[in-house]
Amino acid sequence: MPLSSLKPKMRPHSSLKQEFLKKWIMGLQRCSFSKKNMSILERKKAIKFSADIAMASARNGTTCWSRSLISNASKEGSDIHVVEQILGSESDRPAVENKVPTRRASVCKKIVKRSCRIRRRRRRRKCVASAPSSIAKHLVRKRREVLKSLIPGGEFMNEICLIEETLDYITSLRVQVDVMRSLASASVRASE
Amino acid sequence: MDNQFFLDAGIPPLHFGSSLSSSLSPVMEIQSQDCFPTDYGLQYESALSSMVSSPASSNGNNMSSESLMMRELIGKLGSVGNSGEILHHSQPMLAAASSSCYSTPLNSPPKLNLPVPKSMGLKSGVADFSADPGFAERAAKFSCFGSRSFNGRRTQFGPKDNGEIAACRFNPPPVNVKLPRVSSSPAMKTLAANCREESTVSEQNPDPGFKGSNSRKRKAVPKAKTNETSPSPSPNSSKVTKLNEASNEKRCKLSKTNGNENGSGKAEEEDANGSNTKAPEPPKDYIHVRARRGQATDSHSLAERVRREKISERMKLLQNLVPGCNKVTGKALMLDEIINYVQSLQRQVEFLSMKLASVNTSLDFNVESLVSKDVFHSNTLQNPIFPVNSSAFLGHQSQQNPPLNSNIANGTMSQCSVDHLDSAISPKLNTHLPQTQINRFIKTVPQNPIFPYPSFCEGDLETLVQMGFGHNQSQEMALHSQNFQGSNQVSDMKVEL
Repeated sequence: MPLSSLKPKMRPHSSLKQEFLKKWIMGLQRCSFSKKNMSILERKKAIKFSADIAMASARNGTTCWSRSLISNASKEGSDIHVVEQILGSESDRPAVENKVPTRRASVCKKIVKRSCRIRRRRRRRKCVASAPSSIAKHLVRKRREVLKSLIPGGEFMNEICLIEETLDYITSLRVQVDVMRSLASASVRASE
Repeated sequence: MDNQFFLDAGIPPLHFGSSLSSSLSPVMEIQSQDCFPTDYGLQYESALSSMVSSPASSNGNNMSSESLMMRELIGKLGSVGNSGEILHHSQPMLAAASSSCYSTPLNSPPKLNLPVPKSMGLKSGVADFSADPGFAERAAKFSCFGSRSFNGRRTQFGPKDNGEIAACRFNPPPVNVKLPRVSSSPAMKTLAANCREESTVSEQNPDPGFKGSNSRKRKAVPKAKTNETSPSPSPNSSKVTKLNEASNEKRCKLSKTNGNENGSGKAEEEDANGSNTKAPEPPKDYIHVRARRGQATDSHSLAERVRREKISERMKLLQNLVPGCNKVTGKALMLDEIINYVQSLQRQVEFLSMKLASVNTSLDFNVESLVSKDVFHSNTLQNPIFPVNSSAFLGHQSQQNPPLNSNIANGTMSQCSVDHLDSAISPKLNTHLPQTQINRFIKTVPQNPIFPYPSFCEGDLETLVQMGFGHNQSQEMALHSQNFQGSNQVSDMKVEL
């Protein structure tokens, strides 16, 4: 993907924030309908969950991490109504997209497992290489694996996709943090 | 296509005679009008001699490498396998090659990067003549010459060569008979490859026939890292360069050019027979890669290089996004920073959601008016600061983790424990919650001599004031010590999360 195409993904923060906030509050309202008395941890989970889904849906299925996040969320039966609420009118599209990632996900998982198995076998046969380049590669590989575990749906991406998704994920996380922080401070101020 | 050109050109040599001189003179540095008499044999010899005579003058740097390549070629002459096949067409082929070389109106001198003679191009033809004494040398030099001209030819084919091609096409039957054999020759393929390599940044649609074999090497992403601007030559060149699928690899292997061209992508080839007369094809999906000088040229390394360039380009974007990455060089360290940043962002989300849960006992958030008012108000006021705050915060965190723990998990634990402490203690402490961030900052500051502590604290204080908290640093320190004591006790609380 050319660089110029990456930039449109990073929408102006303010519009993204408003969208995120809107969807998040929608989801929270839906959450509060279901249970009246929730412990603090439950509340926290609900808040975080709806925030994540709102963030992912703000991407409208353009990025891999958002799609996998939504598909993972919609797998759990209990909270699926929240997902639907947030996704709202787009429920048709995510439904289709959810199926695709899962199918792809299962295929990709198999491929990844197979390749990991092969890689492990190769590593066992090979003795540890002492060349600096291989050490560097080893380091990078480890870090890449960690990054893959961090990004939702990251296990299925190749390196290029991973970095792109990381870019997008970081921007959306930032937006999420900003909005949550301002909301928290506003509520704190309101409660005083 | 190249095959056809060669053969076609071979048949009516006289057609090229005039064009040869006209086309070549502006282009070739070697040229002199003497080089191209109408007589083929003379053409040949004189071209070679001119090449021999003025090697150094033409392309200073190129020639040195080219001479190396020539020696390589000479060394490899014996290894040509198809020489037997080619014997029939060797003469017309070479002549065709020469004439077609000559016929290239090289309008784009910059394109003429005068690549290192990757031309194993005329290897087969050369091998045929190996019987002649000293022909190998001449042939090698000629191949050098030929490759250069071919490279130019490729880019220039469209406007001027079409007529010539059309003229040449009048003798299809004998040509076609030879075509398969010629096309199978590695020499011709490599020649075509050389020509093809010249047209750097064109993207071509794969022919259906090609898809199977070349799907591995082709990048269907229409990413145009094209620094060269040659719109007209590229569709024309796509017409021109059509070769068999099997030759792809050899072509890629032999493509070497100077590093001047930054176009990236793999040269593609389409079927030779089809598209001479077709209109310029629709935008292609292929990316053309140019191998840099002194680098390996097989398709694998080309693909590797493209991949690496993509990755590095994206890492640069990430560098701008992640604070503190500018000072870091190297993939591993940058990935480290990125990982830390993502983790800290995720932790912040957790922490903030916990905070919101504690503040809002009923998840009502009915204060929408308040929220909207405050959000937008805070968006305008705090956002300029929050990014600084968060970035500073995260910068601290990211720098904190490595000194604290080599293991990232431990870092999580320490952070979460503080979170839990804060949230577990009643809403009374909500007012202190922002201070925990500051406390973390303070915690990290001693470990991070790089970060400008005073300026950071000022920024943080500003945010505090914005949020209506006017605590001074002494209180923060007190809470900080309190938190430290508490964090040991609540480490088990992390388990709940």
